Amino acid sequence: MSFRVGIDIGGTFTDLVAIDASGRVTIAKIASTPADYTAGIMAGLARLSARAGGEKEVAEVLHASTIASNALLEGKGAKTALITTAGFRDVLEIRDLRMPRLYDLAWRKPPPLVPRRLRLEVVERIRPDGSVARPLDETSLAAAIARLAAERVESVAIAFLHSYANPVHERAVAAAVRAALPGISISESAEILPEIKEYPRTSTAAINAFIQPLVADYLGRLAEKLRGGGIAAPLRLLQSNGGLATPAFAERFPAHLVESGPAAGVVGAAALARRLAEPRLISFDMGGTTAKAGLVEGGRTLGAEAMEVGGGVLAGARLLTGAGYLLKLPSIDLAEVGAGGGSICRLDAAGAPKVGPESAGAEPGPVCYGLGGTEPTITDCNLVLGYLDPAGLAGGTLKLDRAAAAAALARAIAAPLGLSLEEAAHGMLRIATAGMMRAVRAITVERGRDPRDFSLLAFGGNGPLFAAWLAAELGIARVLVPPHPGIFSAFGLLVADTEYHFARSLRTRMDNQTTTASFAALASAAAGLRDEGAARLAAEGFPPARQAFRSSALARYAGQSSEIAVPLPPDAAPACDFRERFASEHLATYGFRAPAGEPVEITGLALVARGLPEHPRLPERIIAETPPQAAQSRPCWFPGLGWMETPVLPRGALGPAPLPGPLIVAEYDATVLVPPGASAAADDFGMIRITLGS
Amino acid sequence: MTEAPGQDDAITEELFRSALAALGDEMALTIYRTSYSGVLKNIMDYSAALCDADGRLAAQGLSVPGHLCSIPVALRAALARYGKEICPGDVIAMNDPYEGGMHLPDIFVFRPIFFTGAVVAWAATICHHTDVGGRVPGSNASDSTEIYAEGLRIPPLKLYREGMPDESLFRIIEKNVRVPERVLGDLRAQLAACEIAERGMAQLLARHGAAGVRRLIAATMDYSERLTRLAIGALPDGEATFTDWIDDDQIDAGKEIPLVCTVRKRGEAMEIDWTGSSPQVKGAINNTFSYTAAASFTAAKSVLATDMPNNDGVFRAIRVIAPPGTIANALPPAACAARGLTGFRMLDCCLGALALLYPDRVPAASEGGNTGITIGGSDAAGRAFIYVDFLSGSWGGRPWADGLEGNTNMFANMASFPIEVIEAENPLEVLDYGIVPDSGGPGKFRGGMALRRTWRMLAEEGILQVRADRATHRPYGLQGGAPGWPSENLLDPETEREHRLPAKLTMTLRRGEVFRHRLAGAGGWGDPLSRDFALLDKDLSEGLVGIEAAARDYGVVATGDPPRIDRAASEALRARLRATRPPCPAVARMVLAE
Repeated sequence: MSFRVGIDIGGTFTDLVAIDASGRVTIAKIASTPADYTAGIMAGLARLSARAGGEKEVAEVLHASTIASNALLEGKGAKTALITTAGFRDVLEIRDLRMPRLYDLAWRKPPPLVPRRLRLEVVERIRPDGSVARPLDETSLAAAIARLAAERVESVAIAFLHSYANPVHERAVAAAVRAALPGISISESAEILPEIKEYPRTSTAAINAFIQPLVADYLGRLAEKLRGGGIAAPLRLLQSNGGLATPAFAERFPAHLVESGPAAGVVGAAALARRLAEPRLISFDMGGTTAKAGLVEGGRTLGAEAMEVGGGVLAGARLLTGAGYLLKLPSIDLAEVGAGGGSICRLDAAGAPKVGPESAGAEPGPVCYGLGGTEPTITDCNLVLGYLDPAGLAGGTLKLDRAAAAAALARAIAAPLGLSLEEAAHGMLRIATAGMMRAVRAITVERGRDPRDFSLLAFGGNGPLFAAWLAAELGIARVLVPPHPGIFSAFGLLVADTEYHFARSLRTRMDNQTTTASFAALASAAAGLRDEGAARLAAEGFPPARQAFRSSALARYAGQSSEIAVPLPPDAAPACDFRERFASEHLATYGFRAPAGEPVEITGLALVARGLPEHPRLPERIIAETPPQAAQSRPCWFPGLGWMETPVLPRGALGPAPLPGPLIVAEYDATVLVPPGASAAADDFGMIRITLGS
Repeated sequence: MTEAPGQDDAITEELFRSALAALGDEMALTIYRTSYSGVLKNIMDYSAALCDADGRLAAQGLSVPGHLCSIPVALRAALARYGKEICPGDVIAMNDPYEGGMHLPDIFVFRPIFFTGAVVAWAATICHHTDVGGRVPGSNASDSTEIYAEGLRIPPLKLYREGMPDESLFRIIEKNVRVPERVLGDLRAQLAACEIAERGMAQLLARHGAAGVRRLIAATMDYSERLTRLAIGALPDGEATFTDWIDDDQIDAGKEIPLVCTVRKRGEAMEIDWTGSSPQVKGAINNTFSYTAAASFTAAKSVLATDMPNNDGVFRAIRVIAPPGTIANALPPAACAARGLTGFRMLDCCLGALALLYPDRVPAASEGGNTGITIGGSDAAGRAFIYVDFLSGSWGGRPWADGLEGNTNMFANMASFPIEVIEAENPLEVLDYGIVPDSGGPGKFRGGMALRRTWRMLAEEGILQVRADRATHRPYGLQGGAPGWPSENLLDPETEREHRLPAKLTMTLRRGEVFRHRLAGAGGWGDPLSRDFALLDKDLSEGLVGIEAAARDYGVVATGDPPRIDRAASEALRARLRATRPPCPAVARMVLAE
């Protein structure tokens, strides 16, 4: 028998999950090895293999990591140059001028990934229609290449104006650089992002170039180690958009991998939503420092068209851009707030209680860890109220000091505010919950959705502790907790599909006269994009029967300044239908539509090409690893009720009949809290289902 | 989680503040999502807020700093007119600068929030509309001399009465603006935001009741007041007066316009007084009081150490004085459409006064605010085009770091127009867009370098309008730092036809003609001769400071490519320069003769 392995590398831990065809799950969680992450992976694989009985063959290795984003955050990428159209080398540094913070004189722009001295200009010019206004100037090209050589540049991005309309000059420069400097990494902007707007395209190409040598090196080493360890299984990498890609694609376009870690959990949520027929699901992933919310509708994740890497977490302000490095590639949309188990609880200058965004992290960690932390954290509050087991986390390997947590909380919060210890602890949890509500509202209300129409899927080390409180505040009636919530992101890797996203700029206008002609242009461009997608899937061994495509057009009413994506039917449909489709999409998104006959502009096309697996990736049920554990109880404090002896059960003790809260389900890597008024049951698949009272 | 009734502990107050702030942001996001026009999307020239029943600001959503304080002033004008005649379902709209407004393109929309028969709060929005009629497209000419030329003037009026639209008002708006579908579309966005506010407040009212919400709103204001006063109290007392100038108002060309700002700080209160500023001017750059207040609060907030929520509590701790009849508080019928320029200069001026009091907290002058550029006409196919852009981009040197370059002025937080979009949508070619070396004022921490952009006209002809400033009164330097370069407009640069154009202009641009605008460079902070060699090394290798300027301004000897600094020669040069130059002034200005 064989199993498939998902590996999720985070800053602190490397999580591994293996699953076999029967649904039996084996997990391993080990400390990450930043000096060489592959060492941790090999150690984890060895442990998995030992726990699974050592007889199983690895059929597939699926991987997400923070390597690409860390390189960006720490500025530790390759020595990178940028070649631009003459007159425009500063576009990368000027960005779109915006800044993320108001009234902040200390604001510091992230330094450009390519310093000005390595931003080289070449004389050339393409017009918006793709025609050549000035041919490529060989003299300035030769000078640029000489500079690359003299500066020993490792990687170069090429970004010319209007290259999305005609990449001929970018290609010619790439060929010349390759010929002159074999071994240098090259990123052509129109190959990565063939879309109008020079800054997002240039920035995306620069990011790709900056991380390319590092990612290529890592993937090479990983492949070697796997081979050396006798694992011949194919390796696939998760992209930020939630689709898997081959190592060859990942090496060429590493910019697609940057946010793969957070994406994995939402991919897992989407697979569960399809399997459990949940039409609308909010994924809620809370760890030690942040909480992230994502959206799954009709079994699909929702995409964002751009992200800012290193922009810090959402502060209720997703409109204020410019904090990080702009990466305009499709990603799974996530809203993030700085609220996790390690978030510090404080009073501000005017005596108002605040939670985070400062975090005690893993070192020194919460006060109760006894590792030197002095400021109370969210984890300390949970411990004081009895929600966490004083006997320890992670199956008792880490003892928690409740007395120290209580003393810190009393000193910092309860006494100054004149509250009891329990009121203070619970109050801080409510304030943390208010922050998480903003993340959930950012992906629902701000997109015209009502959170009450959704179920909440909670995971991450702290997600299941907070999920019921959060759901109650949002008016959500149902919470689902998957098996092994603490490593659910790694599990998400196991249910992802191969997926590639393509995009093209295209400008056409549909009014009463031009509808037919412009729809023909649209349909033919869409067909071309689809051929490209089919070719890539075929090259990776997917026969036509296992290829699936989803096209959409970016459209707006003439005069509007931003577009919405309108799904295109698989076969060419009448043109008037497109305008109608756009109008109803507009109504759904914005709450109104213009009178019939209003001209519509198309600005671009997008295609998602999926390679479908031979066998369903999600088994009939999940058989979790559950260490034998006796039912216990401990006192927990609840608002309005005070201290109550609360049953503490293993997941296996739950059945189809709902048990009333308060109760706690203790797992190896997470604690599920079911407060009074809520009830919990387990389903056949292996999920815990919490129902909130009316 | 259950709520203990009638009890506002610190936790409840914090949760309420958080909910109110989130609601303000959701209103702002609703406008962003549903609006039609690029002015709102690219430039984010809008704001949303919640006010109490008396029109005091309770929470303001994401917004441009220029709108701080504008909403309560406008709402109180509306309340003065309608008093008790407010019914559920009413909506009030207005834009009249002389009855609470800012300038005509800014239309306010207010909606009362009722609970058990009484108004408990107001939802309020303000959006800069693409056009409100008047003599030029965009309704923002800087050379109008009376408000009557600037467009449709709407005093506080009911746009809806008990849920029913007022057809007369809608029809008058429709007939008086150039792009009615956009204006009505953006008004719809404002109404949608008010509806979001009403829904959100309903939840808070259900939880806390009317009395509870009133109490908690008051507590929210008190909290901001406390934070503001604590931050002010932490600063030493003092009084300082600073003068800065606008080059001219385009009507009285070459006649400088003084702005005078006095900051008085005593204990936990601050006063910002514009007495002594120029009488109101003929050109359209006159401020209403609320815009002067916005510039004043922005300066004060950025210098205070705390990021307090924007609400009435902040306004209680900082008093703004602007004598009527001056450019800081104009009387009708003064024109005010292009008063943005005055706001930017007021920010520079007020920060200048604060710099005299708190030299270690305040940067030297920025580029002076954005330059507005409009090019309009017809393309080869006879289709009309209009390109409107705002360029900004550098901050003054700071007491702890260099000024930023390629970063929006903080009063506006505006994006620039992508070059590829300009070229795809207009018969224009952009020839360059970049950082101008040596243009930032030298200093221990230098000013941000200026940006420039160059356009070539590809159509037969078009009208070019430019509203720039800081061409004669350069951005000041502080503590020995030097002023930045002036702004500059050039026609056909780098040809024998090259000549300079005035900072503010309206002219015809013909096929093949090239126009270049260079923003001013920002001022430097501190003695340039004490600038760190490592920073100069970077400036030189990045090509931001040339070898000649390094020697002249910084006393640094560098040679080669990439340039390398000769430390010993540089120390010697610096010693020579120090011995011969006059002492460093606290404020360095330079006025160029036109």
